[in-house]
Order: sequence, then C-alpha cells, then structure tokens
Amino acid sequence: MVVGDYLLAGIVAMLTGLDRVALVQIMISRPLVAATLTGWVLGSPLVGMEIGMLLELLWLGRLPVGAAIPPDDTQVAVGATVLALSVGPTLGLSGMPVVILSVLIAIPLGKFGQVFDRLARHVNDRLAVSGHTALMAGDIAGLERNHLFGLISFAFASLATALVIVLVGSFVLYSVAPVLIGAVQEAGLSLHYSLIMVGAAVLLGTINVNRSASLFCAAFTGTMLVLWLK
Amino acid sequence: MSIVLARIDSRLVHGQILEAWVPYVGADCIVVASDEVAGTSFQCMVMQAAVPSSVKLIIGTLEETVSILSSADLLKKRVLLLFANSEDALKVCQLGASYKKLNLGNMHSSAGKNRYTCTIALDQQDIDKLQQVEDQGVTIVSQCVPADRERSWRKLISSGGR
Amino acid sequence: MKETRLSGLTFLRIYLRSFLLQSSWNFEKLQNLGFFYLILPGLRSIYGDEIPADVRQRHSGYFNTHPYFAPLVAGTVLRLEARQLAGEESEVDAETYKSMVMAPFAAMGDALFWGGVRPLAALLGLLVASQGSLWAPVVFLVLFNLPHLLFRGSGLILGYTQELRAIETVQKCRIPDLAIRLKESTTVLIGVLCAYLSFKGCEHQELSAAWGFVLLPVVLLFAWLAHKGVTSLFLVLLTTSSLLLLALLF
Repeated sequence: MVVGDYLLAGIVAMLTGLDRVALVQIMISRPLVAATLTGWVLGSPLVGMEIGMLLELLWLGRLPVGAAIPPDDTQVAVGATVLALSVGPTLGLSGMPVVILSVLIAIPLGKFGQVFDRLARHVNDRLAVSGHTALMAGDIAGLERNHLFGLISFAFASLATALVIVLVGSFVLYSVAPVLIGAVQEAGLSLHYSLIMVGAAVLLGTINVNRSASLFCAAFTGTMLVLWLK
Repeated sequence: MSIVLARIDSRLVHGQILEAWVPYVGADCIVVASDEVAGTSFQCMVMQAAVPSSVKLIIGTLEETVSILSSADLLKKRVLLLFANSEDALKVCQLGASYKKLNLGNMHSSAGKNRYTCTIALDQQDIDKLQQVEDQGVTIVSQCVPADRERSWRKLISSGGR
Repeated sequence: MKETRLSGLTFLRIYLRSFLLQSSWNFEKLQNLGFFYLILPGLRSIYGDEIPADVRQRHSGYFNTHPYFAPLVAGTVLRLEARQLAGEESEVDAETYKSMVMAPFAAMGDALFWGGVRPLAALLGLLVASQGSLWAPVVFLVLFNLPHLLFRGSGLILGYTQELRAIETVQKCRIPDLAIRLKESTTVLIGVLCAYLSFKGCEHQELSAAWGFVLLPVVLLFAWLAHKGVTSLFLVLLTTSSLLLLALLF
C-alpha cells in the first residue's frame, strides 16, 4: 500500500464514522458497507465485504439508544480491512485466513472507539454552551458555527479509533500471525461461517420478540430440509 | 404482581426502556407514576402510541400508583415501574409501594446539578431523597442499559460529581 | 395578523438540515443546538431576521429524539410558532409539545428503524453477500434508505399540515406493532441464513447435511447467552478458540 491508499482509507474512516451519529445517518457506517467501501478504495472490495459480513451482525442488536454508546463496529470494519490489505501482503498472507485474523484482532480494539466517542461528546459539551451563549447574544451565525464544529470532534474520534486499530493491530498481527496462521488456515471457511452465525445468534438473542426462538427454529428447519432434499 | 424493574428515568417511556429493558427483564406491563403526565391527556396519548399492544401501559398519579400496583389486573403481570425523578420515587415508596431495588437510568442535568455519570446528574436534594429511599430498605444502583455494568449508587456519590 | 406560511424552499432547507441534526450531540443538552439549527430557516420566515429572545431560548434547550422523527417535530413546532405569532390559541404550546413528544418519538424511531428496518435490511444484504455478490451493500442501503428518506420528508409535511393532530395519524400507524412484525421477519431470515451457512459448512467439510441440524441448538444456546448479557467479544473468542483447537486436534 502507498501513502495515498492510507489517506483514502482515512477519509473513508472519517466519513463512515460521521455517519454513525453526527451526519446524515444513511448507514454507510454499517460494517457491511464501511468495510466494502474501504476494500474498494484499496482495490479489493470483495475482501472488504467478507470482513463486513463477519462484523455486520455482532452489534446490530446494540441500539444507539439515547446516551448509550455501543462499540464502534464501523472503525473495527474499516481497521480490519486496512489490516488485511496492508499488513497481510507484507507477511505473504492473503485470502480467508488473514481476513479472519484481522477481524479477530480488530474486535477487542473497538473498545477504544467507545472511549474516543465519549471524549468527542464531552468536547461537544463546551460547544453546546458556547453555541447557546452566542445565540442568546443574538449571534445566530455563531450558533451555526459551534454546531457544525461538532462534526470535527466526531471525525477526529473516528480517525483516532481507526488509527489505533491499524497501528496496534499491525503490531499484534505481526506477532501472532506466524503462530496462528496454520490453525486458522485449517479451520478456514468453517470458522468464517461460524463467526457469521455467532453474530446471527447474538442478534437473535437481543431482538425484542416473544416468539423469536420458535420462529427461528421453524425457519432453520424448513430451509435446511429444502436444501438437503434438493 | 411482581415488579421486575423500578427505575428513575426523566425521559420515562423511551427507546432504552422499550428496546432494551422490557425484553431483558421480560416485562409485560409498564406503570408510569407521575402526577404531571397523568394530568395531561395529550402526553398520555403520545406515550400510548409508543408502546406495542403486547405491553400494557398504565399511567397514574403517585397516589393512584399504589392501588394500581396492588390491583387484581396486575396480579399476573411482570411490572416495570417508572418515575420521572427522585421525589416521585420517594413519595411512592412512602405511600406503601414496595420495590426492592431502584435503578437510576437517566436523570438529566439542569442548573445546580452535578453530573456523576454521563446520564446521571444529581443535586443535594436528590441525594437526600435517594438516601431516604435507601433507608426504607431499597437497594439503589445505576445502570443505563442492560449491557452496562451495574454500579452501587454509593460508589457513584463517593466518586464525586462534576 | 395572518399566519405566515412556509415556502417549499424553506421546507427543502429544513429537510436538508435534518441530516445535520446531531452534529454537535453532547451529554449536557444532547440535540439542543441541532434542533435550533434544524428549524432556523422556518423561524427566519416567521419572525424575519430578528428572532425574539424568548423564541431563541425555548428552542435551544435540552432536546433529544430519534433523528428521523426530528423533521416531524420541526414541522409541528414551526406551525405552532406561526399560529402563536398570529394570535391564535392552541391546546399545547411549542415548548411543551417538544418536551412531551421527544421521548415517545425516540422510542418509536428506535423500535421501527434501529430495531425493525435496519436488521431486516442487513439480513437481506447478508443473504446477497453470502452469494459473493458485491451488490450486497447496495441492496442493504437501498432497502434501508427508501423508508428512511421518505419518512423524514413526509414527517416534516405531516407535522406542519396536521400539527397536533399528527400524533393521531402516527398513532393510527401502530408503529410499535409494525416494528414487531419487522422483527419477526428478521428472526425468520436469521433462521434461513443460519441454515444456509450450516448447509454450506457441511458441504465444505464433506459431511452429510444432517450434521447441520446439530448447529441449531448451538445457535440457540449462543442466543440465550447473548440475551443474558454475555458480550459478542466473548462469544467470538469462545467460538474461535474451540474451532482452532478442533482444527489442531484433527
């Protein structure tokens, strides 16, 4: 990867990060979209999409309700894609094993996202006060300016999270890849499928429906029979 | 009747309650104890519109709440009890409704209040009122959503506010 | 004095500003600046360039609702403001209206969009992605954003034209029940996805598809654990380590 690629990835990290809360919210922040987008600017959209698939469901049931901040799955998706496409090749790794390793390393680092996000919102506390003061003094443009400055703190929080994931992640990937890659290669596709199913199970467990277990079992059995008998 | 969650939440019925707490504690009835809300038909209507038909919503004044909680209708219900502030929680407790644990959810900040967590701001009056609730044998904890860690409010207070 | 009517251009500007509602989201007052920013074009039409201090004060205080419902609130608030200036009486004033609807609307939006539409669109996207098609993110974005973008726009118009009676319209839609229908559909799709992946997994391992049924109780167990508050991180680590162990042993 060249410097330009990292810059592009940084821009994607900020745009998708802003989409989480601060700007537009058309859901380009979902891992399936954010990772594919990152993969696309780095030249391998399919690798991005595989990463997005692994991450999409894991925190989908954690709603951004009120002031509760869920883990930053957007930057985990972006960071893991950068790891897989930048560090992977330097270790001579590609394909499914490095995708899985990158995701596994990026997931715990997503915690930093919560920290940076909270920090950004505290920075915005000050904007809220100064914006309100400006407004009451009759300076409406001052309010608009303060309001829009909030975007900067959110963008920086996203970028910082992505940076930490990529930097710490590269270090970890370099150290554990030689040890684990064999086993991951062995488990390969099964691990990929299983991890998507972990996400599905988490969503199933956190979705707010009374009959979820029976509906799920019926759908599972039905589909399985159709596929089996076909 | 069993109270599966008693909570102070200045937003009353909102997403954290319906999407996170109701499924987590398996509640099928929400009781909102507030003189102000019970006295405003417009707000009762809006609140009702937000609750799915599978969950029963009852809005009562503080005095009514005690009799609502002991009524035959709620005998087999798992009740989620909501207060808007510490004063209401204390009043209902003194009127004789028994809840064993009180959850502090959102108590949003206003002038003169110190913030103890991102979502909880208290002033001395709040602390006194909660102290009195605790003296009635109620365990008081703070937990915004089920995914957060439950913390004793004592630790919260001793950590000092900002 | 006659009530000021807002022009189409003003509506468009409010619609576009609704995408910036949460730019300065903060713990102190949440969407306070955002809401004033949102309705500013409307306030300018009603009051001219000199917006009175009491109006500025009451629309820049604590506010928080679901971002997609904010245009609906904005529509009603602007209508109430315009009518109040024209000297007409109203059952509820703009400030009280805001304080009453923000939490219930937030609940409806969370249930409908975060709990209902988004998981459903994501599952459909994943089913496409599992076929290896790069259209998956596009499918997800289109499915999610059609209702989303429509809702923002129609909310604004509905709020403005029906003002307080907009609540009755919202009530008639039975949004919380609709959300439950969507969640049930999502649950079915989770079943389809898991079955498909189990089948593929068995095929890959050259096992009989009957082994796929073994995964059904495993998924249910994991779902139960997640419901009990076990974190995704733990479940991921558990799965990975057990599979890696299996891979090393056999």
